[in-house]
Amino acid sequence: MSETTSPWARPAAPAELPAATPQVAEPDLAPSRPTYDGKLGELYAIYLRHLVLMVLTLGWSRFWGRTRLRRYLWNHISVLDDRLEYRGRGLELLIGFVLVVLILAAWAGIMWLVWVELLGERPFGNVGVFDLFSLSVALIGFPLSYVGQYAGLRYRLSRTRWRGIRFAMAGSAWGYGATATFLGIANAMTGQLLTPVVSVTLARPRIANARFGTLPFVFAGSAGDIYGRFVGYYFLNLLAWGIALAVAIASIGGTVKALDVSGEDFAQLFSQPSLRTVAIILAAVVAAYLLFSLLILPLRCWWQAYWFRYAVSHSRAGNVLFATSITTRHMWGFMVLNYLIVVLTLGLGWPWVTHRTLRLIASQLWLYGVPDGTVIGQPPGKGPRFGEGLLEMFDVTGI
Amino acid sequence: MAGDSRAGRARYYDGQTAQVHEVAVRPTSHELVMYRPADSSIVARWPIGEVTVLGDLGHEAAPPVVRRGSDARLIVEDPELRRQLAGWVPALSPLVRAPAPVTGRLAGFGSALVALLAMLWLAIDYGSEFAAPLLPHHLQAQLGESVYDELTADKTECHGRQGLAAINGLANRLAEAADYPHPVTVHVIKGGPVNAFTLPGGILVFYSDLIDQAKDEAQVAGVLAHEIGHVVHYHPTKGLVRQYGLDLIGKVLSGGYSDVTTLASGGNLLLALRNGRAFEREADTTGVKLLDKLGLRADGVSSFFQQMMEKEPKDSAAVLGIWSSHPPTTERIEATKRPAIGKPPFTDAEWRALRNVCR
Repeated sequence: MSETTSPWARPAAPAELPAATPQVAEPDLAPSRPTYDGKLGELYAIYLRHLVLMVLTLGWSRFWGRTRLRRYLWNHISVLDDRLEYRGRGLELLIGFVLVVLILAAWAGIMWLVWVELLGERPFGNVGVFDLFSLSVALIGFPLSYVGQYAGLRYRLSRTRWRGIRFAMAGSAWGYGATATFLGIANAMTGQLLTPVVSVTLARPRIANARFGTLPFVFAGSAGDIYGRFVGYYFLNLLAWGIALAVAIASIGGTVKALDVSGEDFAQLFSQPSLRTVAIILAAVVAAYLLFSLLILPLRCWWQAYWFRYAVSHSRAGNVLFATSITTRHMWGFMVLNYLIVVLTLGLGWPWVTHRTLRLIASQLWLYGVPDGTVIGQPPGKGPRFGEGLLEMFDVTGI
Repeated sequence: MAGDSRAGRARYYDGQTAQVHEVAVRPTSHELVMYRPADSSIVARWPIGEVTVLGDLGHEAAPPVVRRGSDARLIVEDPELRRQLAGWVPALSPLVRAPAPVTGRLAGFGSALVALLAMLWLAIDYGSEFAAPLLPHHLQAQLGESVYDELTADKTECHGRQGLAAINGLANRLAEAADYPHPVTVHVIKGGPVNAFTLPGGILVFYSDLIDQAKDEAQVAGVLAHEIGHVVHYHPTKGLVRQYGLDLIGKVLSGGYSDVTTLASGGNLLLALRNGRAFEREADTTGVKLLDKLGLRADGVSSFFQQMMEKEPKDSAAVLGIWSSHPPTTERIEATKRPAIGKPPFTDAEWRALRNVCR
């Protein structure tokens, strides 16, 4: 445990206090959980309306649809009996998106001018100016997606209120983007062994820069705390992959040998598929999924559940502490089942997944204590005027 | 005037701090007054003309009542108090305006979505047949030119005047025979592969390797007639319209969720390939018909495919099956087989000039 600052500035061992010292009041650690009272049918009604408008407007209504969904979800979550409120506007998201499109268009224009005016429309080897533009956008897209994640979080927090007070986000999105890019590359180069450092370093600004009004959140996590568990997970994961691959190769090899099929038969199977072939492929996919899920995914869920518990229990807002008892099984439902629901329903299961997730959060997130409302004021500034353009352009935007 | 018994409880946030005040609410002739039930001390007084509701009951469980220009909020969960407030202050009627029953909304929006997607699908699949020719020709030509510039940026274009005149002359005669109302332009690019393709706006691209390796002028004319088949049926523009429309359906349904979009893209690819095979069959048939119509030798299409088969006996299109953009070559040979009769498509001089178009 690396929590060094007690929210009540209370010495660690009260028993050693001199008798004359006045008693410090016990903190109010009354436990509570958020509640979510949304109805799946109502959520689906809003979502289907959003999809209908998306078709009618060729996708341009998505900014307003997303806003409506957020209004519903936020306002059906209550913390300490007070509902969250979302007051973002679709127009703000549209303008944010258009601004990013204009910036990209300007970048394309500059590249085109350089190509025409300075280079006389000469290609670079086999690469045309359009390819170079796509390449440059893909390259900057990686860091910009991180910048977009942070800036998007800032936008959403600035449009969220609780007890009439806005949330806010300090810190630089560009700084976060640079750190995340650097750590992402470093982690990839070290075979993911830096994962605890990356997780803690990226969680810190996202949590510690968040504010409820004038009340900052605090994150007291440290990579050193979680390395032991991570190393165990890392090597167990390698072992599981080895076993899964060996079993897969043996079973595929055995099947091919048993069926005595040639490469040409395989080509024929995939290029002229009959109903039977499709059924066999589906069965193979299910078998591969079962194998993968039996060996790999529980481990991943185990690690993720641990990391969630750690991150939540090392965060606080003033004298309000957070904790969660989320288990590997919960994480399985959150990560694996939700993913399958969305993919197998071709996206139509999204409201169901969101509903499940919010119910999980409501049942597993604990708050200890209540904030002192008298000392919390509105944050300085009203947050960004427009939102989520970068997120829309370079990242998958959920709700 | 209403007594205290009519005033239920609500929660008041002052907008300055995060304090919560349990309040009772009652109206005067021009104000909404919030006060503490315990000691009747007044917490806030809002002019009725400045009071409004943010949001609605379709989205918010408890739409906040606010005073315009203020961060303060009055949250009313009690339905009876909401009804009273809406009765006192007309601007607060959204507090009681319940949305339509959820089953009705689900059925309505669900069926509207299914109907719209079906219409969109039909519009894309069949509408592109009719819409593509209606798209202004200069726009199609602009698009075709820009794609051409992009594709051939690092290639050498051949400029043999007489050769280009010969191939362009035949191309335009074939197009006219199909009542295609716009001019057609054929570009010849030096080198390989042994191929030709068509871009939007009646722009054809031939690689010189195809001309060099053709056994006779009938084969070049056959390939040209096939490409004119694509032109007169507006296949490149139809392909683009369908691809864009199908991508749109995928994005709408998936809500932009990346993995689903990837799945949808895979489906779109298969549909595009299916479209591709249908286009090729149509272009083959039309090409042969146009040559027949002009009384020209029409055996070049099948003999060209035959020659390709001899060079590469493995029919890759047949092997690829549903993953191929073209029908199996053996099928195309059978479908386009014609006797070697008819006028030669080029004069000897034209054919020589075309052979030398890159020299």
